[in-house]
Amino acid sequence: MEFGKIFLITLGVAFGVIATFYTLNFWPVFVYDSLSYVSIGFREPLFVIFGFLFITVVASNYFAHLGQKPKTIIELLLPASTFEKFLASVVFTAILSVLGYILIFYLTDLVFMTKLRDIPTGVNSGRYYTQTVDGKELSIDRYVYLFDAMKNNMFLPFYIAPLFVTSIFLLGSIYFEKFHYIKTAIAVMLFSGIAGYIVGKVAEFLMSNRRPIGMNGFMFGRGTNTLELFLMFLVLMLTVIFWAITYVRLKEKEV
Amino acid sequence: MIEINDLNFGYSKQKLLFKNLSMQLHAGHIYGLLGKNGAGKSSLLKNLAGLVYAEKGKISVMGHDPAKRQPSLLKQVCFIPEEFYLPSVKIDAYVKANAAFYPNFDHKYFSDLLTEFDVPVGQKLINMSYGQKKKLIIAFGLATQAKLIIMDEPTNGLDIPSKAQFRKIMAAALTDDRCIIISTHQVRDLDNLIDTVIMLDESSVALKASIEEITHRLCFKKIKEMNDTVIYAEPSLSGYNAVMPNYHDEDSKLDIELLFNAMLTEKTKLKTVFN
Repeated sequence: MEFGKIFLITLGVAFGVIATFYTLNFWPVFVYDSLSYVSIGFREPLFVIFGFLFITVVASNYFAHLGQKPKTIIELLLPASTFEKFLASVVFTAILSVLGYILIFYLTDLVFMTKLRDIPTGVNSGRYYTQTVDGKELSIDRYVYLFDAMKNNMFLPFYIAPLFVTSIFLLGSIYFEKFHYIKTAIAVMLFSGIAGYIVGKVAEFLMSNRRPIGMNGFMFGRGTNTLELFLMFLVLMLTVIFWAITYVRLKEKEV
Repeated sequence: MIEINDLNFGYSKQKLLFKNLSMQLHAGHIYGLLGKNGAGKSSLLKNLAGLVYAEKGKISVMGHDPAKRQPSLLKQVCFIPEEFYLPSVKIDAYVKANAAFYPNFDHKYFSDLLTEFDVPVGQKLINMSYGQKKKLIIAFGLATQAKLIIMDEPTNGLDIPSKAQFRKIMAAALTDDRCIIISTHQVRDLDNLIDTVIMLDESSVALKASIEEITHRLCFKKIKEMNDTVIYAEPSLSGYNAVMPNYHDEDSKLDIELLFNAMLTEKTKLKTVFN
């Protein structure tokens, strides 16, 4: 009941932050109706970094109340099965929070970019640039909507990364009694540091004294690359494992 | 309705709170669960509600294992904890969000109970006093029409008129298919309400007897001088308030506080009377 309220407030705050970033970077459009000094390079990093913060904060809050005895009693005695309670947590954290964030970002981008694209442009405005594709010279629009720009050449595991990230922070919200976000973040840093070190060392051991072969298109193969698919399934598998542990923790929860 | 067999439970494996505790509780009764601080009253209630897991033993509540937390059982259990939390919403919103989980929720009864308890309806729950909040969750719990009502220190925070209202409402709430368990250390609050006394002491049930049985076997009366038949006595202005065996089938009114103190100090003597 309270989580829904907190979720909507967080969504409102997120909208405010995104709109502020757009306003700060787009002010010449509104003040002078000019494309000069307008920067749109902030959108991708803002989308990724702030999106990460948003979905992790939401996920980290979901079961945070189970650290308090009176709230735990209410949660555990609610006439719904443990699986239903778990499923609700996944729907809220992995689906609604991600879709909610994408929606507010999409709408904000739509409004600001439409305004920008409506400005009449001259030949030397810098809006278009030419690129040679398959021997043909094409005029490319620099000011496209963010999601149009992002939909091409996306690394496949990126699509399920939100599920993976939220599954970790959801587990952290039920695993820790207090300071869920900080403790989960530290745990993630430690584990990823150790995992990175081990993978690095193993790779060094396997690859030493060997000649590298061509890896063209590894990052942009759009699912055609075996390694990319393998990584996607690995991330998906880890996500399912984290969800399973969360379910078990919820089932084992006592007052 | 409730069967507990050889229950072993503790918060650490080294120190068990209950050792081989067995008990049966039936519908149509109001049980008063008494015991010293730390005797395990709240823990027993939590075991019955499935909020904690037992080390060993079996608990059956209406044919269900409460530890499985099945919705079909949870719909029939109303647990009023000692410490509780209410969200920052108005009563209507609270009822709208929670009543849907209880198919037999009686809105009219809930509204009547709020009126009887004198709980302000338009106020946000967070702005209510502790006593008002407590009355609200009691009213909500009773309106769910749950078959098992478990209350942990329900009269804490209630003023004197509210305690009287509470006794009246609870007495009226008892039906043939309902079982009410009230745990408290304020034994006077349960006067004329409970029909069976359960006393916990030293990891087990020290006494479980109906009021009728207790007054049949024991006599509670004022005496001027102590004598050999007295099991336990406390000095009073005009002599002693005493508990003694009811050899002559005398009618007396149960003094729960006196019985409780007698059980703590003269457990062996009392056990002899009841066995």
